[in-house]
Amino acid sequence: MSDGEKGGSAHGMRVIRTPRYVDVEITAACNQRCSYCYFFDNPEVPYHDLPLGEWLSFFEELGRCGVMRVTLQGGEPFMRGDLREVISGVVENRMRFAVLSNGTLIDDSMAAFIARTNRCDQVQVSVDGPCARIHDATRGRGSFDAAIAGLKRLQSHSIPVGVRVTISRHNVGHLEETARFLLEDLGLARFGTNSAGYIGTCRRHADELLLDPALHAEAMQALVRIAGRYPGRVLANAGPLADALTWRKMLDAAGCGAGTFDDGGRLTGCGCHFTTCAVRADGVIIPCVLLAHMEMGRINKDSLEAVWNNSPVLAELRSRSSIELKDFEYCRACLYSPYCTGSCPAMAYTQSRRVNAPSPDGCLRRFLDSGGRPEDIP
Amino acid sequence: MKLDDAPVPNPVVVLREESDDWAILFNPDTSAAVGTNPVGVEIWKQADGTRSLRDIAATVARRFSNVPEGASGEVLSFADELARDGFFGVAEGAEG
Repeated sequence: MSDGEKGGSAHGMRVIRTPRYVDVEITAACNQRCSYCYFFDNPEVPYHDLPLGEWLSFFEELGRCGVMRVTLQGGEPFMRGDLREVISGVVENRMRFAVLSNGTLIDDSMAAFIARTNRCDQVQVSVDGPCARIHDATRGRGSFDAAIAGLKRLQSHSIPVGVRVTISRHNVGHLEETARFLLEDLGLARFGTNSAGYIGTCRRHADELLLDPALHAEAMQALVRIAGRYPGRVLANAGPLADALTWRKMLDAAGCGAGTFDDGGRLTGCGCHFTTCAVRADGVIIPCVLLAHMEMGRINKDSLEAVWNNSPVLAELRSRSSIELKDFEYCRACLYSPYCTGSCPAMAYTQSRRVNAPSPDGCLRRFLDSGGRPEDIP
Repeated sequence: MKLDDAPVPNPVVVLREESDDWAILFNPDTSAAVGTNPVGVEIWKQADGTRSLRDIAATVARRFSNVPEGASGEVLSFADELARDGFFGVAEGAEG
């Protein structure tokens, strides 16, 4: 009667009746203005908040849908004075939750409250360096000390803490110290990495932030080295570490003329829209926080289950995996396309204004065409 | 558990019927999740603290085709799994 896990990440899979996970931008307010923020400076998004009652009604609907986890994000979730009531609404409707935060506003009382719920999968805090000088370069003066204080308060209440390191020109030369600080000094079980991408506020600071091929190579080499030293404790779904692991397999496969990868040659790079959707701070339902312009409905007005099953936006995204890379001029002659998934649709959109296209980010050929070398990839 | 026990579902557990032939029982207090088929869903829905596992097995045999003899053993095994993970309790003083 019981069975192993089915579905969730495979492509071409059936659509489940309701999403398992919902990402909720609980507020558009933030006490920081990080230079690489994906959230702000999106001209297609209005930035305003909903009252508590709207969220509590929505969480009742999520409970009826059997949603398993809500990820509260923003903006900065701890900017909401009624965050305890928000979290209680999640808990009372039989869901777990996670919070994505800059960590700076977490006091002991809030940490104790979160711990008492026994439903928190993780509070993820952004830490971009081993010291204030490096971290604050992208996140503002005083943010490092406040973030680490908040993180330690979470730890003191045994709340699972995640850390995300966003790699940019400011910290790429300090990844070794950052890893040592997080894993040894703070004693974290693991941390995740990605890199600043050409989206949101980052578009205004691209020259200051984005890695060129040489720095990308430096980051890949450092992260692979660090990941080898701390097995299983350095994670990545995107960015230099993920690129290094993926690109090395692609180079090796191309080198020996291996056949097409199971998920290769088509736009299979993201399966989130089979399990997850998101809601903007203004209550508009969207497929993903990185695709905030793709409006699918509004909470407490449109049925989430109906949106999930009938939205043409989601249908389009779910059909991505049938689109072949050879349909794109840049990919047609690419030696690596049989092993490529086209990467993230949101990063494709922000750079090409097309969702159903391969993303320049995570593109091995583009890395090599712009000066990267195969021997740079560890 | 025994066949005469009447399992009581943990009220916090969520049944997600994701498709016609696939469901997940999810305990948000522990993060435990069990994937199951329509027979497991039927067992879960029948379990209300008054029906014994023997009765539930009989109902399953009536409602599903091709149920093999000895299916009550599988029902018992499934109930044991759910009880071990905190999905089921047993009604006090329940008789089959």
